Amino acid sequence: MSSHEPPMPVKLVPLPPFKPDLCERAWQSIPHPTLPLLATVHEKSVTVFSLSTLSPHSHLTNGHERSVRSTTWKPNLPPHKLCLITGSFDSSAGLWRWEDEGRGGSDNLEVEMTGGAREESEEKDWELIVVLEGHDSEIKSVAFSPSGQYVATCSRDKAVWIWEDVGASEADDEWETIAVLNEHDGDVKAVAWCPDTNRSGRGRYSSDVLASASYDDTVRIWREDEDGEWICVAVLEGHKGTVWGVQWEPNPKTDRFPRLLSWSADRTIRVWTLKEEEDEAQAAPRHAFGGLGGIPNTMRRSQKEEWSCTAILPTAHTRDIYSATWSPQTGRVASTGSDAVIAIYEEVASDPNGAVFTEDEAAAELDGDVPMSNGHSESNTEASSQWKLISTTPNAHGPYEINHITWCKRYDHDCPPEKRGVEEMLVTTGDDGIVRSWQIS
Amino acid sequence: MDNKDNANPTILNVSELPTRQNKKKTSAISKDADLDLGIVLKRPEYLSAPFCDVPWASDDTDSDDGFTIEPIDEQEIYDLISTISDPEHPLSLGQLAVVNLPDIHITPSPSAAADPNTLTQVLVKITPTITHCSLATVIGLGIRVRLEQALPPNYRVDVMIKEGTHSQDDQVNKQLADKERVAAALENATLKGVLDKMLETCV
Repeated sequence: MSSHEPPMPVKLVPLPPFKPDLCERAWQSIPHPTLPLLATVHEKSVTVFSLSTLSPHSHLTNGHERSVRSTTWKPNLPPHKLCLITGSFDSSAGLWRWEDEGRGGSDNLEVEMTGGAREESEEKDWELIVVLEGHDSEIKSVAFSPSGQYVATCSRDKAVWIWEDVGASEADDEWETIAVLNEHDGDVKAVAWCPDTNRSGRGRYSSDVLASASYDDTVRIWREDEDGEWICVAVLEGHKGTVWGVQWEPNPKTDRFPRLLSWSADRTIRVWTLKEEEDEAQAAPRHAFGGLGGIPNTMRRSQKEEWSCTAILPTAHTRDIYSATWSPQTGRVASTGSDAVIAIYEEVASDPNGAVFTEDEAAAELDGDVPMSNGHSESNTEASSQWKLISTTPNAHGPYEINHITWCKRYDHDCPPEKRGVEEMLVTTGDDGIVRSWQIS
Repeated sequence: MDNKDNANPTILNVSELPTRQNKKKTSAISKDADLDLGIVLKRPEYLSAPFCDVPWASDDTDSDDGFTIEPIDEQEIYDLISTISDPEHPLSLGQLAVVNLPDIHITPSPSAAADPNTLTQVLVKITPTITHCSLATVIGLGIRVRLEQALPPNYRVDVMIKEGTHSQDDQVNKQLADKERVAAALENATLKGVLDKMLETCV
C-alpha cells in the first residue's frame, strides 16, 4: 500500500446487530484474539457473542457485586479453552475459565457455532476461578500482556497493578502481585500492553511495555529494568482533559518501535512516537532543516525514554472521545464517544522522526487556527505525520452515547466464505445496550 | 445534621422563584397554577419510552389538534431540578438559589421541530451556598442524575460550578463531567441513599 495516495472517502454500512439487545448500558466489546468470539461487558456480567451467528455463545454471571467495566482474553490458549479476566467497580478482578471438554479439535468451536444448534454447550457455565483483590476502589481496565504472563489492572485509587501468572501449569491458577505503580495523580482509566512487535531488545529493559491513561491528563509508559523493578520511563503530557484510553500501533510498517494512540475528554486523539536512541545520529540532520527547534516541554530530561506527540488527528468529535481503535490491517483509526459519532481516519504520510508537535501548534489546531493534518511547517509538510478524516457517521447508536469501538474480523454468514476471518468490520457498544457492527465500503 | 457547612443560608421565598406563570410570552400555556407540577409529574414517562415524544403540554387548548409538542426549555429544566432537596437543609435547591433560571443554558435553543436524534446540551451552572461547600459534588451529581433520568436520550447534561463561587470548582466540574465516575457513584449504596433522599421531593 502506498502511503502517498490520497485517501478515499469511505462509508459505514450497518450490518445486522448482535442479538439480543442487552437493554442496559454496555461498556465495551472485546474480540477474542483468534476465535470468532466477542466479549461484551454490561452491568454485572459479560455476554460472549459468537461472531458467526451474532447471538450469545455463553454468559459470565454472579461474579461481581457491581458493574463489570472491562474484560480481556487470555491469549495463546488451545481453541477449546477460554479464559477471561473481568475488572469491576467492586474493586476486584475475576479470572474465569470455560472449557469444552472432549472437544479438543481446533475447528470445532466455529463449526458448532455456525451450525447454530448448541443447546448443551450454551448451558455450559463459565467458572470464576480466582479473584484478584488489592485495589481500593473501582477497577477501570484490565489487560493481558501478549504472552499471557502478566495482567495489568488499574483503578480510581490512582494505581496500576501488575500481576504475574506463577502457576506451574495452565490449570494452576496462581497469581502474584509483582508491581504496584502509584505515580498517577488521578484515576487510571486504561492500561494497554505493547503488542509483540518490534519491541524486543530495545534499550536496557525487558521486552514487555505497558501504557496507562489517566484522569490526570497524562499517559505513562512503564518498563521492567534489570533489577526486575517496574518503572515509569516516560510521562506523555499534552492532553487537556482526562485521557480515556490508549492503544499501541498494532502493525508498524517499518521496524520502528510501535507508536501509541491516546484519546481524551479534550476531544483530541494523539499519536506518540518513541525517539529511538540508535536512530539519533542519522535523525539529527533532518531536524536541522526542519526548523522544529529543540525538545518539546512534554519531555523531561530525567525520563529514560523520549516520547513525543507526532500527530493530532483531525477534529471530528464535539464531546468526550471514549474509544478509538487502530487497525492492524489498514492502519486506519476509528473513534467514537459521547457525541455518538463514528469517525475514521487514514494516515497519508508518516515519518516518525520528521515531526514533533509543540504545545503552541497543538493549541492552534485545537482552536481551529491551523487546518488539521496540515503538518506544522511548510518546509516539513511532506515529512510529517498526516492524518485525514475519511468518514464520519453521526447518530451511530441513535441519540445514545457510544462507549467503545473496535476493529474485528468478520465471520458472519453475510460475509463471503473466503473473506471470513479476514475482512474487518467495526463493532460499537453503546448506552442503548446494543452491539452494532459496521462494514467499511 | 449538626455540623452544617452553612448554618444560615439565604433563603428565597417560594413565591419569588421563577415559574412559567411569570412569563408573558407563553400564550399557548394555560395559567393553571398546577401546570408546572403537572410537567414534573409527567416526566418519568420518558424513562419507559425514551423515543416517545410525550405531548406533555396537553392542556394547550389553543391548538387545532388539541396538543402540540412543546420543546423543553430552560424553565422546564429549572422545574425539574429546583425541587431537589438540599442534602443538609430541609429546603429546595431553588429556595437556596443553588440553581437559578439564568444559569441554565440549552444548546441549540429549544425548537419544536428538533429531530429526536439531534444532540442537545443542557448546561446547568450551580451556585453553592458557600465557597467551600463540601457537598457541591453531591448536589451536582443529584442534578445530573435527575436530568439524565428525566430527559430524552439525545440530551447531554453538563453540570458545572458557576465561576468564582467555589474554591475547588475545576475539581468538582471534572468529577461531574466524568461518566464513569458518575456511573460508579450510583452503585455506592451510601451515596445512592443521599441522592434518593434529595430527589424524593421531585415527584
